[in-house]
Amino acid sequence: MPRLRRAGVLAAFALLLGGVPPVFSADAPPAYSPQGADTCLGCHNDATTTGIFRTKHARPDDPHGPFGHGGLQCEACHGPGGAHVRAQGGPLAGMLDFGPKALTPVPRQNAQCLSCHQLNTAHDWAISAHAANNVACASCHTLHAAQDPVLTAATQIDVCTGCHQAQHTDLFKPSHHPLREGKMACTSCHSPHGSTGPAQLIKNTVNETCTSCHAEFRGPFLWEHQPVTENCDNCHQPHGSAQPALLTIRTPFLCQTCHEGAGHPSIANTPQGLPGGMPSAYLLSGGCINCHSQVHGSNHPSGRALMR
Amino acid sequence: MRRLRRRSYSAPAWGALATLAVGSASADTPAPPDTSGWKCAQCPFLQGAEGQVEAGVQYATGANASYGRYTGLDRSGAYVDAGSSGQFRRSDGTYVNYNLESLGLPSREGYANAGQEGLYDLRIIYDGQPSRLYDTAVTPYQGIGNGVLALPANWVNAGSTAGMAQLRSSLSPLDLGFDRSTVSVLGKLFASPRWTLFGEFQRQEKEGTDLTSASFLTQAVQLPQPIDYVTNSIDAGAAWSGHAASLRFTYTGSWFDDDSDSLTFANPYLPIVPGSTQGQLAQPPGNTLQQLAATGTLLLPWFGTSLSFTASIGRLLQNQAFLPISTLPGSGLLTPGSLNGDVHLSHYALGLASRPLSKLTVHGSAAYDGRDDETTPLSVDYIVTDTFAGGTAVTPRYSEDRVRLDGGADYALLSWVRLGIGGEYQSTHYGPGQVLTWLQDNTSWGRASIIPLDSLTFTLKGGDGLRKTSSFDIAALPAGENPLVRDSNFAPREQVFYSLTGAWSPTATFTASLEGYFANDDYPLSQLGLRSEHERRISSTLTWAPRDSLSFYMDAGYQSLYGLQYGYVGPAAAPWQIADSERFWNAGVGGKWVASQRWTLSVDGLHAPSYDTTNSVIGGLTQSFPQNGSQLDSLHFTATYSRNAALQFNIRYSFEKYDMNDWALGGVTPSTVPNLLGMGLQPYHHNVSLFALTVRYKLGPSTASAPK
Repeated sequence: MPRLRRAGVLAAFALLLGGVPPVFSADAPPAYSPQGADTCLGCHNDATTTGIFRTKHARPDDPHGPFGHGGLQCEACHGPGGAHVRAQGGPLAGMLDFGPKALTPVPRQNAQCLSCHQLNTAHDWAISAHAANNVACASCHTLHAAQDPVLTAATQIDVCTGCHQAQHTDLFKPSHHPLREGKMACTSCHSPHGSTGPAQLIKNTVNETCTSCHAEFRGPFLWEHQPVTENCDNCHQPHGSAQPALLTIRTPFLCQTCHEGAGHPSIANTPQGLPGGMPSAYLLSGGCINCHSQVHGSNHPSGRALMR
Repeated sequence: MRRLRRRSYSAPAWGALATLAVGSASADTPAPPDTSGWKCAQCPFLQGAEGQVEAGVQYATGANASYGRYTGLDRSGAYVDAGSSGQFRRSDGTYVNYNLESLGLPSREGYANAGQEGLYDLRIIYDGQPSRLYDTAVTPYQGIGNGVLALPANWVNAGSTAGMAQLRSSLSPLDLGFDRSTVSVLGKLFASPRWTLFGEFQRQEKEGTDLTSASFLTQAVQLPQPIDYVTNSIDAGAAWSGHAASLRFTYTGSWFDDDSDSLTFANPYLPIVPGSTQGQLAQPPGNTLQQLAATGTLLLPWFGTSLSFTASIGRLLQNQAFLPISTLPGSGLLTPGSLNGDVHLSHYALGLASRPLSKLTVHGSAAYDGRDDETTPLSVDYIVTDTFAGGTAVTPRYSEDRVRLDGGADYALLSWVRLGIGGEYQSTHYGPGQVLTWLQDNTSWGRASIIPLDSLTFTLKGGDGLRKTSSFDIAALPAGENPLVRDSNFAPREQVFYSLTGAWSPTATFTASLEGYFANDDYPLSQLGLRSEHERRISSTLTWAPRDSLSFYMDAGYQSLYGLQYGYVGPAAAPWQIADSERFWNAGVGGKWVASQRWTLSVDGLHAPSYDTTNSVIGGLTQSFPQNGSQLDSLHFTATYSRNAALQFNIRYSFEKYDMNDWALGGVTPSTVPNLLGMGLQPYHHNVSLFALTVRYKLGPSTASAPK
């Protein structure tokens, strides 16, 4: 009897943790609409809705798409609409709506999208930061628009910075990648659907991502610079910086966070080194780079100090 | 009997747990309907062709490299503004799409793709990306572009820039910048419902004139660097997708080629030693990266669990012939004649996410990254700046192994409270000859999401981090390096961070969001080098769309970054300090109004100043550098007039003003610094008005017909 009580307590605890599972529902399975999309379009025929017929989701000859032969059309994503039709609209009546303000819980929305996409374009979704933060697919994707803004470089930045507001501020910093100008997209470097790289990068490491465009810094060089081989982020802030070349700190001070050796690396550079004082090559123009221009590595036999 | 009874007693509980585990997955799935009567007769599918052409002119006043940096609108005057897009569909599923934009500018881009639904897809993409660096540069060097920079025949060498008598008369302006163009050809073959074969070839060319510099011992010179880079890349493989698993095999090859291996330049100074009349820089060597990767996902039948993995191995090779050790007469060649550089890269990762309870989600991943530099170190008798023998040194090679574990869990405590915890552990082991043998970076965090009202959500997150390292191997430091300094990427670090995000949507038409962030990084064991960094950030966005035809937005952001570092003065003296404080503001406002069926108007305004203040403290004396910073103000206005369904006129006016202060550049002429023959680069400024008038004409059916 105590064991039975313990089992009951365990069951009650489980119910408390999980809530009432849907399998306990006595409702009959919901029904589909009588005529599929034709039924839906009887009411939902505005341009905002019918834009989907210019997208990949509504191709009548795509055997894998919802509008392909035998596909469930609108109800492939929105779920069975029979009750919704019988009620002549109004409540969702078991159907799904999508978006950050939708009534349908985000995990349920995303499960619907992932039922088709998890094993192709979103195979790392489950381990992504977006999934962990309960972000709806439809928070970023506008499925019914003829051109989904998040899929175009020029408009994607507005979608991403809607949440990533720090990166919105970064766009206007003096040194920045050409995102504001529409010549790069966040997805040039990041995989919003998840990845096994750091910060959801599209490549395995920071350096592999950066050198996919900046291959001239890939090396290996005869003379290497350890922070460069380890991580470009050691010196660069890719989202934007007040300093030239997306540096985290201006030269010579950046270099002096590691180099304080005897001689000029330890020199305390002050405003006296500016024009009007005693103009200093350690401070002006490129600072340390004026001589050590090969900071990313040198293949010159005499490039030991990265000066050739 | 005893065992049986125990099982039967426990069965309800475990059954309930199992039910919970699968509850979310076992949704009420009705039987598939008979869709034979679903004709989709009302569906406005496209059949045939449709497209649009846009052409016009835009006229810029005040444009320069600063304004046109990434667009190519880098001079005042008129530009063609043209583009086009279109698509074609046939009832057998074949299709063609294309899009062309900014055809009158170096930033032009476009794509075309064709295929048959469910069978294959081919795509070709072109992207032009200008990068205008400076149009304020001047240089006495000639022969730019051929890799040998010469000075004028009447050049007077001197010990400092002030003594270079022909400097002023020899200066010629030049534009620094380059054009990056990328062409990609992609193909997909849907070989079967399960298998897809894919391939992409990409060629990226980067051509122009960049900025570099070099020195003869302590006498430096800025140089125009001709660049002509080509990177060819291939990604090809196969993907398999089943009911509960997927696999993808990919081969990646990337070949970087530099058209020139060196940049030779005349010495404008009096040679420090006889014969040191020219120098030579190595240009980036050609290299090759090849990788094989397998990725996959497995959906497990328990608790909605998914497992994903990646395994990747690769090699990075470089074997370009070395340049001579120096341009000094009598200098020899390094043996062997090339590096035979060989770096092995590996990446293995496993990720797991699960919902063991309907209120609990967990996720985690483990990743290993290896960089194994198997290049043979070489002993080099090197020459310092083509001036004098520097001695013998062995080229260092850097290898490392990194393991990264991260994970988190979220629990829906109540319908309006969600709690989460998580963390990341990162351990790096460095190869021989480095100052550290290992480094660990641990971060942990907790967060609470609260929904006090349906329309209001707050998330508070906080955490800390600790970076620990092995003892610092002073013997591995480069000769002469101060043992008291801790390289900023090797220094032990303590972190704390907090963030608050909130969103309020009281109506379907109004949304307000707020984000705040606070972080402190301290390097308590660094006697010299980076000591602390702070970040403070707050931003907010308001959007209001009172009608479908009318919407407004406002956004604002503020960020403050602070860094403090110490430097060496002497064994008994207090270190010098540099404190850098950066502040960024941005405020934007705008709206869109569909005034009628014919007129649509939109306006956007932006104000974004930044300030960068640097103070030095030496011997108790504080000195301030002039304040650096920038200010961007812009106003964009667009009006669209639709004459009919096919014809549209677009009118655009953009005003943009940008001013930048930079004490490293401002007022620095080629001869300002005695031992730096500069190029006189000046901070960016522009004040531009851009007018554009284009006509867009739609071709093809304005209302698509349903398929037969």
